[in-house]
Amino acid sequence: MATIAEPVPMPRREPAGALTGDLQVRRLVIAHVWVAVVAFAVACLLGVWQMWARSPIEAPAHTAANYFRSVTLHGVSMAFVLTTFFIMGFGYFVAETALKRPVPGLKLAWAAFWMGIAGVLMAALSVVSGRASVLYTFYPPLTATAWFYIGLVLVVVASWIWCLLMIVAMRSWKAANPGQAVPLAMFGTVANAVMWLWTTVGVAAELLFQVIPAALGLNGMVDVGLSRTLFSWTLHAIVYFWLFPSYIAFYTMAPRAAGGRLYSDTMGRLAFILFLLYSLPVGLHHLFMDPEHSNGFKFLQMFLTALVSVPTFLTVFTIAASLEVAGRMRGGTGTFGWIRALPWDRPMVLATGLAFFMLFWGGGGGLVNMSYGMNAMVHNTSWVTAHFHLIFGGTVVIMYFAIAYAMWPMLTGRAFPSMKPLLTQLWLWFIGMMVMTLPWHWTGLQGQWRRIAAFDYSDPLIASWGPWVIVSLVGGIILAVSALMFVWNLVVLHRSSSPRAPVTDVPYAEAVHPPGRLPASLNGFGLWNVIVAVLMLLAYGYPIAQFFIDPPPQAVVHRLH
Amino acid sequence: MAEPAYPMTRHDYADDAAELERLEAALEGGPKGAVAVSLIAVALLMVGWLGIYFLVFLPRGTVG
Amino acid sequence: MAVNEQAILKSEVRWAWVVAGIVAVILGAILFAALSMHVNPPSNREFVDPKTLHLSAEFTEENLGTRIDPDGRIVARVIATQFEFVPNCIILPAQRDVTLRFATPDVIHGILVTGTNVNTMVVPGYVAQVHTQFTKTGDLLMPCHEFCGLGHTQMIATVKVVPPDQFRPDASGRASCGDDR
Repeated sequence: MATIAEPVPMPRREPAGALTGDLQVRRLVIAHVWVAVVAFAVACLLGVWQMWARSPIEAPAHTAANYFRSVTLHGVSMAFVLTTFFIMGFGYFVAETALKRPVPGLKLAWAAFWMGIAGVLMAALSVVSGRASVLYTFYPPLTATAWFYIGLVLVVVASWIWCLLMIVAMRSWKAANPGQAVPLAMFGTVANAVMWLWTTVGVAAELLFQVIPAALGLNGMVDVGLSRTLFSWTLHAIVYFWLFPSYIAFYTMAPRAAGGRLYSDTMGRLAFILFLLYSLPVGLHHLFMDPEHSNGFKFLQMFLTALVSVPTFLTVFTIAASLEVAGRMRGGTGTFGWIRALPWDRPMVLATGLAFFMLFWGGGGGLVNMSYGMNAMVHNTSWVTAHFHLIFGGTVVIMYFAIAYAMWPMLTGRAFPSMKPLLTQLWLWFIGMMVMTLPWHWTGLQGQWRRIAAFDYSDPLIASWGPWVIVSLVGGIILAVSALMFVWNLVVLHRSSSPRAPVTDVPYAEAVHPPGRLPASLNGFGLWNVIVAVLMLLAYGYPIAQFFIDPPPQAVVHRLH
Repeated sequence: MAEPAYPMTRHDYADDAAELERLEAALEGGPKGAVAVSLIAVALLMVGWLGIYFLVFLPRGTVG
Repeated sequence: MAVNEQAILKSEVRWAWVVAGIVAVILGAILFAALSMHVNPPSNREFVDPKTLHLSAEFTEENLGTRIDPDGRIVARVIATQFEFVPNCIILPAQRDVTLRFATPDVIHGILVTGTNVNTMVVPGYVAQVHTQFTKTGDLLMPCHEFCGLGHTQMIATVKVVPPDQFRPDASGRASCGDDR
C-alpha cells in the first residue's frame, strides 16, 4: 500500500460511547416499525395468493375483482405503508442515537404518526371494499373512490412532517456543534428526507390537480400524458427513498457489526449526495414505451439513469473494502480469505452479504431496463417484476430486517435468546427471493406480461411457462414463511420470558479516518438542492411544459366503482 | 422509564492499542480483496448485459 | 497511520474509473443500436381525440386491420378498448418493413408481441406507433400488458406473421387473418 510522505496524525480515541437509560423515541420507533411489519406480513400473504392465482393450479376465491383488489393492497402496503413507516421510525432512531441528543418535536412526530394511520385506514378500507382497484400506480383515467387518494395524501403529508423534523434535528445539532461533521448515519437520513420532499412533488401534483378532482366529480376529463409524466417524476426516486435506510446500514452499521471500520466516510457522503442528485431527473425511463415524449428527452434521462448506477457501484467497492478490513482484523488473509473470516453468524453481516448478491441480479436486470431501445424487449413483462422484487425484497427489505434486529434489543431492553431463528429467517428470505424471481426473468424474456389475473394455459406458449410459474409460487411460499418468522422474532423480545439485557452500544461504525472539519458541501445540502433544481428543470422542464404549450386531447374519466 | 444519558464523546470505539495495530495491519493487506471481488462482480454483470444485448435483443429485430 | 486517507481515496478514484468504463461501454452499445440500427423507443407525439376516435379518418371501422397504404407502406391499425382489440387478429409478412398503429377511445392500454421487440404503451390522446421487421413467422400473442380495468386479463390478440410470399392482400390492398378468426 502506498504511503505518502506527510504523516497523518492518529485520530484520538476516547472510551466507548455507552448509552444509558431508555431512548426518548423508544415508543415512537416501536409504533412505526410495528405498523410497517403488519402491512408487510399482510402483503406477503396476498402476494402468495396472487402467484397461486396465476399458476396452473386452481386457487380459492379466484376472480378478477379479487385479484386486482389483492394486487392493489399488496402494492400499497409494500410501497407506501411498510416503507414510509419503517423509514420514519428508523429516522427517529438515527436522529437520537447518532446525534446523541433528544429529537425535537416529538409531539409533532406522534401527530404525524396518527395522521399516517388515519390515511392508511382510509386507503385500506377503500381497497378492501373493492372501490379502489387501480393498483398503487393509479392509471388515470381509471378512477377510484376519492377516499383512497386522500388517505394516501395523508400518509405523504405525515412523511413531510418527518422530513422537516429530520432537517430541524440536523440543523440544531450543527448549531450546537459548530464545525463538526454530521454523523454519517444522520447525514444519510437527512439526504433521504431532502430527496423525499423533492420526490413527492410529482405525485402530489398529479393527485391534487388531476386525480382527486376527477374522483370528486369536479373534472370529467384528464390529460393522461401529463399525469403519467408527473407520476414518473416520483417513480424512480421513491425507490431510492426506500433504499436509503439500506445504504445507511451498509455504510454505518454493517462495518461495525463485522468488527471493522468504514473504509471511507467521504465516499459515504458522496454516495448519498449522488443519490439525491441523480435519482430524480431520471423518471422518464419509466415512460420509454410511451408515445407522449420525444426520443431526445428519453435519451437524456437514460444518460442520467446510467449515472445513478455510479453511487451503487461506488458503494459496492467501499463496503467490500470495509468488510475486507473487518475480515483481515479477524485474521483473514489473501485475496479472498477475509470473506471466510467475516462473522456471518451476525444478522447485519449476513443480510449485507445476501443483499449485495441480490442487488447484483436486481441491478443487472435494471441495467437492461434502463437501456433505452432495449427496454422494448422487457417492458411490462415479468422481467421487470423480477427486477423490482429483487431490489425491493432483496436489497431494501432484507436490510430492514437487519436494521430491525439491530434496533430491537435497544428498544425493548431485551436480548435475542439465540441468533439462529434470525439467521434462518434471513436465509429463507434470500432463497425464496431467488427461487421466485429467477423464473420471472426467463418467462419475462419470452414475453410473459404483467398485471393479469390469470393465464390461459390452453395456449401452447403460455402452457410452456406453467412449470416455471409453479417454481415461482414455491419461492413465494418460502418468502411468506420467512415473513412470518420475522414477525415472530420481533414478538419474542416483547415477551417477558426473554432475558433482560439493556443494550448500551450505539451500532454505528467509525471510519478508518473519522472526518475532521468538512467542507460545507459534504456537511449539508444547500448547494445540492440548487443543483437538483437545475437538473430537474433541464430534465422535466420541457417534458411537462409541452402539455401546456401544445395540449393533447384529454381522456374521459372512468370510474371503477 | 429511565432518562437517557448521552456520553459526550465523538468516537464510539474503545481506545485499544492492540485493536489499532490490527486495523493498521488489515489496511496494509487491502484493498486487493475488495478490488478483486468488485471486479469479478462487474465483469459478470457486463458479460450478462452484453450476452442479452447480442444474443437476445439484437436478433429480435429493429423497432422504433 | 501508515495507510492515510489520501491512499484510500486514491483506491476509490481508481475504482471510479472502472465504473466510468462500464457506463461508457453500455452507453456506447445503446448509441450504436440507436444510430446505426435504428433501435429507438416508440415515441410518437401524434394526437387523436379519444372521444371522436370512431369518427376520425384513420380509425373508422373499415380502416382497421392490415392494409397496404397508398404510399406502399404495410400498416396494421388496431383499436385497443376495454376489453378487446379490434380486430383481434392481424396478419403481417416477415422480413418486410411494417408499421403498427394503435389508438384507444377509453383508458391506458399497452401491447407487446411475444418473442419480438414490439412494445408500446397505448395512451388515450395519442396514436401509438411501432415500425419493425418480424424475423420469425407463426402465430404470436399480442396481449394488453397494462392494467386497464377488471377485464384486462381477457384482452389478447394474435399477430399472424407469414412468409412474404404467403402475404396476399386483396385488390383493395387489405389482408385479414381469414374466417377462422
